[in-house]
Amino acid sequence: MDAPVISVKNLAISYETSRGDVPAVRNVTFDIYRGQTLGLVGESGCGKSTVAYGLVNYLGRNGKISGGDIVFQGQSLVGRSGEELRKLRGNSIGMVYQDPFTSLNPAMNVGEQMMEVLTVHQKISTEAARDKCLKMLQRVYMPSPEKILERYPHQISGGQQQRVVIAMALLNNPSLLIMDEPTTALDVTIEAAVLDLIADLRRDFDTAILFISHNLGVVARVCERVGVMYAGELVELAMANEIFANPRHPYTQGLMRALPRLGVDKASSALYPIRGRVPSPSRLPPGCTFEPRCDYATEACRTNKQVFRALHTPITQDAATEPDVLGSHKVRCQFAEQIDPKAWVPAETLALYGRSDQFGKIPETVLDVDMLSTHYKSGGTSLLGAFGLGKRETVKAVDGVSFKLPRGKSLGVVGESGSGKSTLVKTIIGLEDMTSGKAQFMSFSLEKSARQRDLSLVKELQMVFQNPDATLNPAYSVGKQIERPLRRFGVVPSNQVRDEVIRLLREVKLDEHYYDRLPRQLSGGEKQRVGIARAFAGRPDLVLADEPVSALDVSVQAAVLNLLLGIQKDQGTTMIFIAHDLSVVRFFCDYIAVMYCGQIMEIGPAEAIYSPPYHPYTESLLAAVPIPDPTVQQSHIRLDGAIPSPANPPSGCRFHTRCPRRGLVPGDKCVTTVPTWQTIRTSDDDNDSHRIFCHIPAEELSKLEQALH
Amino acid sequence: MAAINLKDNNALRPSAFARFREAISPLTQSKTAMLGFIMVMFWVIIGLFADDILFRPACWSEDSECKATPWLARYEAQQSFRGQILKDPTAEHWLGTDRQGRDIWARVAHGTRIVLALAPISVIVALLVGGSLGLIAGYFGKWVDEIIMRILDAMIGIPSILMYLVILAALGPSYLTIVLAVTVTGAPGIAKLVRSLTLDIKTRDYIAAAQTRGESPWYIMFVEILPNARGPIMIDAMLRMGYAVFAMGTLGFLGLGLPPPSPDWGSIVNAGRTHLLGGHPWGALAGSLSTATLVLGLNLMADGLQEQLNKYR
Repeated sequence: MDAPVISVKNLAISYETSRGDVPAVRNVTFDIYRGQTLGLVGESGCGKSTVAYGLVNYLGRNGKISGGDIVFQGQSLVGRSGEELRKLRGNSIGMVYQDPFTSLNPAMNVGEQMMEVLTVHQKISTEAARDKCLKMLQRVYMPSPEKILERYPHQISGGQQQRVVIAMALLNNPSLLIMDEPTTALDVTIEAAVLDLIADLRRDFDTAILFISHNLGVVARVCERVGVMYAGELVELAMANEIFANPRHPYTQGLMRALPRLGVDKASSALYPIRGRVPSPSRLPPGCTFEPRCDYATEACRTNKQVFRALHTPITQDAATEPDVLGSHKVRCQFAEQIDPKAWVPAETLALYGRSDQFGKIPETVLDVDMLSTHYKSGGTSLLGAFGLGKRETVKAVDGVSFKLPRGKSLGVVGESGSGKSTLVKTIIGLEDMTSGKAQFMSFSLEKSARQRDLSLVKELQMVFQNPDATLNPAYSVGKQIERPLRRFGVVPSNQVRDEVIRLLREVKLDEHYYDRLPRQLSGGEKQRVGIARAFAGRPDLVLADEPVSALDVSVQAAVLNLLLGIQKDQGTTMIFIAHDLSVVRFFCDYIAVMYCGQIMEIGPAEAIYSPPYHPYTESLLAAVPIPDPTVQQSHIRLDGAIPSPANPPSGCRFHTRCPRRGLVPGDKCVTTVPTWQTIRTSDDDNDSHRIFCHIPAEELSKLEQALH
Repeated sequence: MAAINLKDNNALRPSAFARFREAISPLTQSKTAMLGFIMVMFWVIIGLFADDILFRPACWSEDSECKATPWLARYEAQQSFRGQILKDPTAEHWLGTDRQGRDIWARVAHGTRIVLALAPISVIVALLVGGSLGLIAGYFGKWVDEIIMRILDAMIGIPSILMYLVILAALGPSYLTIVLAVTVTGAPGIAKLVRSLTLDIKTRDYIAAAQTRGESPWYIMFVEILPNARGPIMIDAMLRMGYAVFAMGTLGFLGLGLPPPSPDWGSIVNAGRTHLLGGHPWGALAGSLSTATLVLGLNLMADGLQEQLNKYR
């Protein structure tokens, strides 16, 4: 076998701070060979990105490699000066970052930026460089590459930007490509296409790729080997098939258990979060780093550091000094062989949150939305606009949405960004003014904005937000922020407010010490819990959750989902749950609405949405979801381009510009005629019907193959 | 009820103390800010203890017959020493004497009070006016924003010296006029700063959370938004305090400030100016250096705090 392209041995990286060195990464050992992709996964703060920056020696002023060795194409990169490194490395390491928009220079057009990559490193004529760039753009499947070269980064879509960044990284034909969360900022449909591209490029260019992601599904799709990082250490390293089928480290097993699998719902299984949180690198446990959170920990684990070794070898043998053999399975746990993940019993049994209508009782409808539209006027901010003279464009963010929601149920809303999901819930809660249509909550009309609504109505509708860092006001303590809705809505007499806050904190599994803490002293998951406590403080009947778990790590996400389910069950709250993760929605919700470009394309009971008959858009979404299991086969359907601008939506069926099944409809019916709703299943309950907004007859949609099998 | 209140207070007490320590921590952590703080505190102490009048409440009314006992100032501001005209510094008169035989140090020390009272007051008034306008413009947006900001733009367009002249000419020199002049020139800048901070903060989810509770716009502006803008506002206020000290010096120097025999620093410089070439720079020097050190101190404090604030981000 060839020598590895890059060989990392016992790498340790630390950051100098005023309180001494903080060891961010320790004992990381791996090799990557030509044409191979190694995935690094783990929760935030586990040192994945630090490893990547360490490889290119981009650690910032206070970071340094404090131990170990990095051998790139046979030569060590550690301990050399910047100039030497540049020569050694030349242009043979490429890097792709998370956010394509910030990786591109907004002041230069795409062509200039790409050509610069070539002209800086080698003598090459402008024409030749341009030619090469054009070829590379074609190679990354960029539609109309000549035009793209002339455009500026803000004029192309996010998916196209990331393609440009990848093309730039590949221009010098690097032998190692480092990708740090390259698809995290993208929608699932675009993510799927970019992942396909990465897999193709690896094959064609024979590049070694280090692929960093927090998303196990993404890693499962593109990587053949996967390394799991925990608290700055590599805890498990194996072939992807092996690690997903047979995880040996308790942390890897915990991650798998915390992840909702597509097709699993709350009635049939529970999600088990990993207790505790990732230790800060400045306060590591003395023994095994995972010991405080491990269900299998023994006295020995508390005191003994664990070595990274191949499975079925004595625990004294440190694999860091051994050559990394492709196909080996290494783990940092002395009990790796004995632990049987199937025999795992949760420390506390979690209740299953079954569907509440087992007795055939039809719950009353609490929310009735009928042909709701929310249009914005854009470009009306100039002084001329103040007098109604400005040039304005109407953005149809939500356009004719109807649904009903029974008490105590959850409606999941999915769709790409820009499909109007957030605007829909903001209109319902009164943060946006509705343009036309009706929305009725019990006996109240939701016509007015939140400011003008009656306090008794305001109290019944509350919201949980996406970004844990923005959901709490940084200026006030946790207690004060939960107090406010209690006082405002007069939930309890004012002398009991403090006790009620503490009760709510307990409800979200935080103890009363949190009362006086400030938001910046909390972790993301804790902030989200406080946000949930605040939303539920007024005991609302309808809670709108806008991507409440998207910004959280897998293990924390599981805990927050369980919490929401528990409170919902206790209080009988009705919920609308926006998410882009189809597995989370499937797990959490009773009903699902799929939105595209301001309209609902398909709506129905959760289990009905995930198998045929389904709307071609739903089918495309399902085909694109990254599944954390390399053995699952997905149908290969990829959507081109980006979601159309809601200011100028396509005629007829809005999905016709990207629809992979347009061939099933003869003529240009999709372009000219707005589809009608087809009802697939009608039960006694009107709420339970499954409806599809498509021209293709239901019988034909039923014949579509399963997107996942 | 009483028992519960007691419990509340007990719970709040440590956190209030912690909050105070935290509030001053940026000062103690930055050497720059600490140096500035020491320079400003020097003048604050001189101002407080120039004489004993601030510590005798009986003397505070205008018509009281109290006679102040000089402390740090050593003499009274208007006290003339016979035969001690335009003297160089001596042990008796630390900074020498002026044309009328008055002790320059005593005048500087008494002048500190005027400067240190008027500068913060005028900045606070400017903050109240400019901050409110900025909050309103930023939060409501649309035409409210347009109208407020265009009017403030027009005010920024007028040179500040011209603005001072117009206001002083119209209202005549007095404490109130000076405060008004500094407010009118300072408020538009503060409004712009607060507006930009508001535009940023109002997009945060906690503002949406307040809106979904049906809170009034005033509650959201002053309770939810303003506390989160306080860092940059405080730094700006410190810089503006420096400008205000300068502005008052300028007015005094131009003879437009408080009427003689006011010992404000600008007037001291103005009085000493004529003797600069006559080999007696002490009056002009003392007034200028006092202004310079105070402004420098305020600027250093602002710089240090800014540095600390950036560190948190």
